Amino acid sequence: MKLNIEGLLVYFPYDYIYPEQYSYMLELKRTLDAKGHGVLEMPSGTGKTISLLSLIVAYQREYPLEVTKLIYCSRTVPEIEKVVEELRKLMEFYSKETGEKNNILALALSSRKNLCVHPEVSSLRFGKEVDGKCHSLTASYIRAQRHSNPSLPSCRFYEEFDAMGKQVPLPAGVYNLDDLKEFGRRKGWCPYYLARYSILHANIIVYSYHYLLDPKIADLVSKELSKKSVVVFDEAHNIDNVCIDSMSVNITRRTLDRSQANVETLQNTILKIKETDAAKLKEEYRRLVEGLKEANVARETDIYMSNPVLPDEILQEAVPGSIRTAEHFVGFMKRFLEYLKARLRIHHVVQESAPQFLKDIFEKVCIDRKPLRFCAERLRSLLRTLEIADIADFSAITLISNFATLVSTYSKGFTIIIEPFEDRTPTIANPVLHFSCMDPSIAIKPVFERFQSVIITSGTLSPLDIYPRILDFRPVTVASFTMTLARTCLCPLVVGRGNDQVAMTSKFETREDFAVIRNYGNLLLEMSAIVPDGIVAFFTSYTYMENIVASWYEQGILENVQRNKLIFIETPDAAETSMALEKYQEACENGRGAILLSVARGKVSEGIDFVHHFGRAVIMFGVPYVYTQSRILKARLEYLRDQFQIRENDFLTFDAMRHAAQCVGRAIRGKTDYGLMIFADKRYARADKRGKLPRWIQEHLTDGSLNLTIDETVQLSKHFLRQMAQPFRQEDQLGLSLLTLEQLQSEDMLQKIAQIAHQA
Amino acid sequence: MAALSEEVLLVVKRVRQRKQDGTLYLMAERIAWGPEGKDRFTVSHLYADIRCQKISPDGKAKIQLQLVLHTGESTNLHFSNESTALKDRDAAKDLLQQLLPKFKKRANKELEEKNRMLQEDPVLFQLYKDLVVCQVISAEEFWANRLSINNVDHSLSNNKQEVGISAAFLADIRPQTDGCNGLRYNLTSDIIESIFRTYPAVKQKYGENVPHNMTEKEFWTRFFQSHYFHRDRINTGLQDIFSECAKQDEKGLKSMVFQGVKNPMVDLLSLEDKSLDEGYGSNSTAPSTSNTNKTVKENSNSAIIKRFNHHSTMVLAAGSGKKASSLVVFTAEPCANLAVCLHRDAPNGQACETSSTDGNSRDSDFFQPPIKKVKIQDVIEYEDLHRENGKKTVALNLKKSDRWCGCSWTPYFGTSVMSSSTASCAIAALSPGGVLMQALAQQAINQMVPNDVQGELKHLYTAAGELLRHFWSCFPVNTLFLEEKVVKMRSNLERFQMTKLRPFQEKVQRQYLSTNLTGHLEDMFQMAYNKFHAWQTRRMMRKT
Repeated sequence: MKLNIEGLLVYFPYDYIYPEQYSYMLELKRTLDAKGHGVLEMPSGTGKTISLLSLIVAYQREYPLEVTKLIYCSRTVPEIEKVVEELRKLMEFYSKETGEKNNILALALSSRKNLCVHPEVSSLRFGKEVDGKCHSLTASYIRAQRHSNPSLPSCRFYEEFDAMGKQVPLPAGVYNLDDLKEFGRRKGWCPYYLARYSILHANIIVYSYHYLLDPKIADLVSKELSKKSVVVFDEAHNIDNVCIDSMSVNITRRTLDRSQANVETLQNTILKIKETDAAKLKEEYRRLVEGLKEANVARETDIYMSNPVLPDEILQEAVPGSIRTAEHFVGFMKRFLEYLKARLRIHHVVQESAPQFLKDIFEKVCIDRKPLRFCAERLRSLLRTLEIADIADFSAITLISNFATLVSTYSKGFTIIIEPFEDRTPTIANPVLHFSCMDPSIAIKPVFERFQSVIITSGTLSPLDIYPRILDFRPVTVASFTMTLARTCLCPLVVGRGNDQVAMTSKFETREDFAVIRNYGNLLLEMSAIVPDGIVAFFTSYTYMENIVASWYEQGILENVQRNKLIFIETPDAAETSMALEKYQEACENGRGAILLSVARGKVSEGIDFVHHFGRAVIMFGVPYVYTQSRILKARLEYLRDQFQIRENDFLTFDAMRHAAQCVGRAIRGKTDYGLMIFADKRYARADKRGKLPRWIQEHLTDGSLNLTIDETVQLSKHFLRQMAQPFRQEDQLGLSLLTLEQLQSEDMLQKIAQIAHQA
Repeated sequence: MAALSEEVLLVVKRVRQRKQDGTLYLMAERIAWGPEGKDRFTVSHLYADIRCQKISPDGKAKIQLQLVLHTGESTNLHFSNESTALKDRDAAKDLLQQLLPKFKKRANKELEEKNRMLQEDPVLFQLYKDLVVCQVISAEEFWANRLSINNVDHSLSNNKQEVGISAAFLADIRPQTDGCNGLRYNLTSDIIESIFRTYPAVKQKYGENVPHNMTEKEFWTRFFQSHYFHRDRINTGLQDIFSECAKQDEKGLKSMVFQGVKNPMVDLLSLEDKSLDEGYGSNSTAPSTSNTNKTVKENSNSAIIKRFNHHSTMVLAAGSGKKASSLVVFTAEPCANLAVCLHRDAPNGQACETSSTDGNSRDSDFFQPPIKKVKIQDVIEYEDLHRENGKKTVALNLKKSDRWCGCSWTPYFGTSVMSSSTASCAIAALSPGGVLMQALAQQAINQMVPNDVQGELKHLYTAAGELLRHFWSCFPVNTLFLEEKVVKMRSNLERFQMTKLRPFQEKVQRQYLSTNLTGHLEDMFQMAYNKFHAWQTRRMMRKT
């Protein structure tokens, strides 16, 4: 259908529309008009992606000079591919309606592992291996060497692309990862570099967060993207953690040992080169003196050596003299390593700020701040000069140099924690230096500053006001949309007590309590008897799950559960879990029914959807608080309190509740879907927890469904399931939660729609 | 003596019954007892009639065996040969123990079968009520020619469908303490079957060791003692024969994990686009790489978890056979034709691979995209946002369509065919309201007669039809049995007419005046009577 969104003609590739989609597009349009940022929460399964795409593409067509590019960031590879497929659908609809071939170029970008077509390289299993192998075939100096020695191996796809691929831009169309590969195979061009080259002139790019948020990658990939872009972060409920992760470094003794070996290799190589080709080192020195480093850095294939700090922090001056010669630099690194080793030889926990660290290093080994800041840059230059093929071997020393650059660049927002041993095993020495970022706004700041509109959206962003605070930006629209429902297809229940009236909670003091574990077991057992097909249960942590499963096994609860359903359990091993997941789905598919025991914050809870019969009930055992004893977390909480005036408890509860909401939201993936959401902890009944759930869940959490016993839960669930099992047709939805164009245009409907968006 | 022609399995002398000495015979199909000196049996029971046997406790003076029949009656046998009484009794008991289950199953099966048929088929059930419950014909007659037909196809379908395995079959082996420091495990053949199907390694061990190395009992004892059975124990000793099984399981699990998953949407390994390099990130709970600092308890916990996954996987695999994985593909309806062609390609993947110009080594590459596409399409589809346009049909995909429409094909009927206009005239005349259909008066029967009467009439028709079928199946009457039957059937028919048809007719007459609902039924009966009469007169004539 064709919609009129405040004067903008929007093509929407379906016959009907959900009211909230319309409302969402309205808000989005206003955000784009204002050229500002937005925070929009809308439940999953209400067609967020297609609404976003429809509106932004329409906007792009209407105002081609205002918005030149859409950068759509998602989290996982399947998500990325899903977005591209939805886009393809939209584009097909466009060409069908308008009758003309649209000239929009849209493509997905992913790592080499997902795009490589080289027969040998692509058969490698891990992304890092693929990257390393690719680098050893395509690095600029390797290709230079090949001029003198043609027998060296090469990647014909890259050579072809380099020779031909850049002359003609990629023809307009929608390219998913597989389409790019197919295109690359046909042309004999490297799809990865083709994609990286094409994003510069593409209208729509879909890729993962890291390409924009991780400075090490963003600098290379996304540097030249136009300012007049709209950036969308989908599934953005965890965006602060992505930001923090990309700026944090951990150094162990093993890292140091490997760096030591790296340094020695460097030294030997330098000696060797000095004998054979001293001119090369002199040339490098000359370059560094003149500060020409940037001039030929822009070699696209040298991805490994990029600066860990944000672009605006990189110094535009020449490398300081003390580390300019190769030997001096190696000596400098040695000294730095020795210092770090000494710091790791401690017996008590040390926590200090970056300036303290710098002061200490200056006093102890006379290392200045300035050369430290150039470490990453200097190492990059050296590795290139020495023509080292397998960069993957040098990851340790790269890490150390990145740390050096980071610690000397940022004086605020970071903390250094040195722990001599793990908390659980105080007898085993395993010193770790955590250099951790506490302020997610540091990594995302350039994005907000550079692009005119940044949209942060997800199914679970409540409470909405916290994201602008922790990411430190000023949005023009903040809205939460509910799910209009013709039938209440979600049923949140808070189970607070067992049938014996013992409170159910994962609170630290009582979590090992026999009665609590037994009641949790009984809950699972009862639910396994009444819920059809699949049940997913989440625990607060992996260790907690292990303990509970073991005691359930001893008590014979699992045996009884097995009479009703098969049991699959998440393990720390991703491959094993994938298999368990597949088998779980198979068991749901063939009617046996199964239970998946899983962990909040785990990979399953973040990336896997349990649509329809794959998840008829989700049980959340306990409140998934983070491990609060961690020093890094404590430091971060302190920082949040001091900088953003967010109280520790507020943040912890917010964090726990967003993960709980993520977990239970996995089961509802649309209006035709239905599922039980069982919160098995009495603490969920409290207002401070309940109030932090997304609005679309909170709405259905009545007072009657709080603090239930197991029996009451079973009764309510039975009733709900029986109701939901009735046939549900399109007519039932029409006019309520599903609108035709005529219905949409009616006056009172527009009024109703205005209420859907809840402005925070 | 009739018994002589039967196979006698066991003869026990000096068995007393009702204070009379005699001999006990166990035959292939029955057990019999005859008093001494007489050559006929006073007691004879088919095994199928026996519900169970009971024996007297060991310490008792009288050594007895009691047979309890399904009817509730019982027969006591007293083994009175002093020296060998116990041995005799045990021999008889053991033999009975082997024989009874065989017959029991058969008897039960028949009953179950009948029950099932009645439940599944409401028409049959009604018929049963009309004829058997009202004692028009006997139950045996009713079942006589039904069961045989059904038995055949049922047994056929029985072969096809395998029974799944309960996930909790290990839990069903409830160990019971026997009071003196021991455990008793109850093992049935079903459970053994389940164990074998779920854990092929155990079956293999069984085949290797039983009966050459150990008895069956010993084997299972060891099984239950082994660490293998107790999933939380990890250190499997070397002397344990099942340690190898555990290793084999481990290997199987590993290879399954290594193969990876077919559905890209659940592949957690390829979920992340770009994982952080080692050393970056802030996750404080970095997994400790060394296993050394894990406690024994933690290790055993993770062993339990692994075992659960393995167990469930094996149960699932045993239940669904190997087809399961390819079946999943077909659930994606919107692209059914795509999935179908994928499925067809799968077995001859080689051809597919060699045809590709570019030797991509990842052979999975060629199959993955279609599955992936289907899955993704499936996920992004909002079915309720589309206007419903009937059932989605799979388009017919003809490879060489010119072959189908290119050549000119004209039908040839010969000459004796009437023209199309004549044909349509005839159809019009024969349709309701047409020239030829006007004479029929009951056009409105379904409007004039209330539903309950209609239903009753329907029952009458089926019942009468069944009786008549029995009746007519007797002709030609060439055996004595059929002769008897035909006479009986005639009286059955008469009885039916009296007890069922008449009251119905009266009822109809009371309510409605004109319509003769039962005319056709009566005609049918009359036809049967005529036939019977003709047959009887001919027989009388032949006799005289």
